[in-house]
Amino acid sequence: MKRRNETLILRVDPILCDGFGHCAELAPEIVTLDEWGYPIISTAPLGAARSTSLRSAQLAVRGCPRQALWIEKVEQRN
Amino acid sequence: MIAFTTPYLWYSSRATGIVSLVLLTVMIVLGALVSTRVGGRAVGRFEINEIHRSISMITMLFVAVHVGTTVVDSYVPIGFFSALVPFTSGYRRIPVAIGTLAIDLMLTVWVSSLVKDRIRNVTWRYLHWLSWACFAAADLHGFLVGSDAHRTWMIILQVICVAAVVAAAIWRITQRPTRAAGRTAHSPLAGSGQVAPKKTPPAGPRPLAKSGGRAIPPSAPRPKGSRR
Amino acid sequence: MSIATHALPRVLTGAGPRPLTLQQHEEFFGPAHMRRDLLDELGRSGLTGRGGAAFPTAVKAALLRDQHARKKFVVVNAMEGEPAAHKDYTLASVNPHLVLDGALALAGAIGASHVAICVAREKTVMINHFERAVHERERRGSLGVTVEIHTPPGRYIAGEESALVHWLDDNETLPQFRPERPSILSIGRAPVLVDNTETHAHVGLILRYGADWFRSLGTNASPGSTLVSVSGAVARPVVLEIALGTPIGEILAAAGADTSPRALLLGGYGGTFVDGSAVSTPYANELLRPLGASVGAGVIVVLPQQSCGITETFNIARWMANESARQCGPCAFGLPALAESLGHLAVGGRDAKDALALIRERSAVINGRGACRHPDGVVRLVQSALSVFADDAERHAAGRPCAYAGQSRFASVPRLELEHELVWE
Repeated sequence: MKRRNETLILRVDPILCDGFGHCAELAPEIVTLDEWGYPIISTAPLGAARSTSLRSAQLAVRGCPRQALWIEKVEQRN
Repeated sequence: MIAFTTPYLWYSSRATGIVSLVLLTVMIVLGALVSTRVGGRAVGRFEINEIHRSISMITMLFVAVHVGTTVVDSYVPIGFFSALVPFTSGYRRIPVAIGTLAIDLMLTVWVSSLVKDRIRNVTWRYLHWLSWACFAAADLHGFLVGSDAHRTWMIILQVICVAAVVAAAIWRITQRPTRAAGRTAHSPLAGSGQVAPKKTPPAGPRPLAKSGGRAIPPSAPRPKGSRR
Repeated sequence: MSIATHALPRVLTGAGPRPLTLQQHEEFFGPAHMRRDLLDELGRSGLTGRGGAAFPTAVKAALLRDQHARKKFVVVNAMEGEPAAHKDYTLASVNPHLVLDGALALAGAIGASHVAICVAREKTVMINHFERAVHERERRGSLGVTVEIHTPPGRYIAGEESALVHWLDDNETLPQFRPERPSILSIGRAPVLVDNTETHAHVGLILRYGADWFRSLGTNASPGSTLVSVSGAVARPVVLEIALGTPIGEILAAAGADTSPRALLLGGYGGTFVDGSAVSTPYANELLRPLGASVGAGVIVVLPQQSCGITETFNIARWMANESARQCGPCAFGLPALAESLGHLAVGGRDAKDALALIRERSAVINGRGACRHPDGVVRLVQSALSVFADDAERHAAGRPCAYAGQSRFASVPRLELEHELVWE
């Protein structure tokens, strides 16, 4: 369950990732592909629940054929 | 047990059987397109993946109706048990068994996708390759036991389906799209003409413990292939 | 006790043509007695890992001690996949018993029942030294723990601790993705403590002489002594034991190397180039950090004035690219692309200008996107090279390569293996 005020980011397991590129199609504002087809994921936090970027990220997680993506809560370091 | 038969059950069984075969063909072709990373311009890769996933449900529905109508129809002595366990049918034992095999393979693929989160990705992938065998079994079943198998239009349909699947198989094999392990697009030695004697490495000691739970799939060296 | 405070050598005591026997070892150092406060003493000593990451040894061991497991492993990482490093080999040739002392002591401290000494299978001399040492001990009496020598294939990446444990666990030298730090590596269900050969040797001494003795050399932030492998512009590659904080120039002089070099490569082939003026800098992490460098695996490669930094970097990068485990796209594809561009730059032909821009772009893209730090190391090497050899890079890019371009003479790499020859298991 993701609560409203957590800082969430999208992360990839680079070993599982095989460069299918579905994430860049599903979440283009978060993921771009490098010249070899592998994802470069923005480190900016995903928006709050129900924001479009979180929704895109969730679609990307679900759509990855290798299940290489996940959404992680970031520890706040002040 | 209620004896119940009507020609419409038989017609439904035939029709849904043929439609299932066509849908299976479409599934295989789409699956091959997904794994070879087709798309990204006019059609999104994720779209092909989504269609592949959605059509699988429709396919299973048609297969379920095909099996259901056959089992319910008491005109042929095929019970529910025979739909899942091969070689137990009273009617045309072997052709029905092949169909049962196709069902079993399809259920395996379906269940493995349901628990995809809980099993290792490699396990899921190897099980998913059973879908090719599922098509082969389903096609052979239709060819052997299909009531319309001798009709011209069915033969043409068969040829089209088999040709499509064979083409998909050739496409899949020749694209070699899988893991980065074992291949580099621009190997430092590409075209360098360096030739060195091949050394056989001495056999290493056995590992301390064979793990089952590590999240790292084994990687076999793959042949070089350019991905660009 | 023949080890005096404030004196060198420490771990290299008794260096001679043959490794010390168990008897000679105990004559030099006295017998090793288990002490209950070993981890506290290691903590006070400030000993950090000598494999490159410089993580506090006591903290790492305490993490393992606090794991509840029936079986635990202590691994001695004697792989030394770094081509420019020879210190683990030297330690094995001087005194393998000191390394064993450290390993057995740590095993006792964390509650491990198994010690695995991992040596690259091609390094038969090292394997022999360790085998003889273990055999001597077993002949003398029961060790209390199972000590085994394992020989993974000698890949560069096989020395990375997660790859080494992966090989022990599942017979493949492939690094693991560890998104959460700190993370405990395990073989099956048994947690593992991996430490470099030299780290174990220092533990063997701290066990006997204590933290204050250890801290009597070195600086406050980098206490103790360390082994340095000097190669490049030197008559013979040499391994020295030095006190941390010694000015680099003194180290070079003691090694017989060129004391006014063009540049130095510090840390290893995944380390950092620094300008030759760094010879006045003391050799300690806190003082190298402003230069963007670190002690790393104790490697110093000396590039003299008569050398081409771009060519040397290309030679290293090409080999490092070939040593990629090829699990992650950015590393498997990015490193060969970087190496190719460096090759164009080194030659200084038509492609050199674009090559320079490509190198800058690609190294930024590749950085941090692998499962392990291998691509990061190559990026660090390349970016520091472009900084230190900036003038050379510009000239090469303009099509005017320097006089020394073309042949790498100072950074030596093993033979490039073709892909089908690479052994990972």
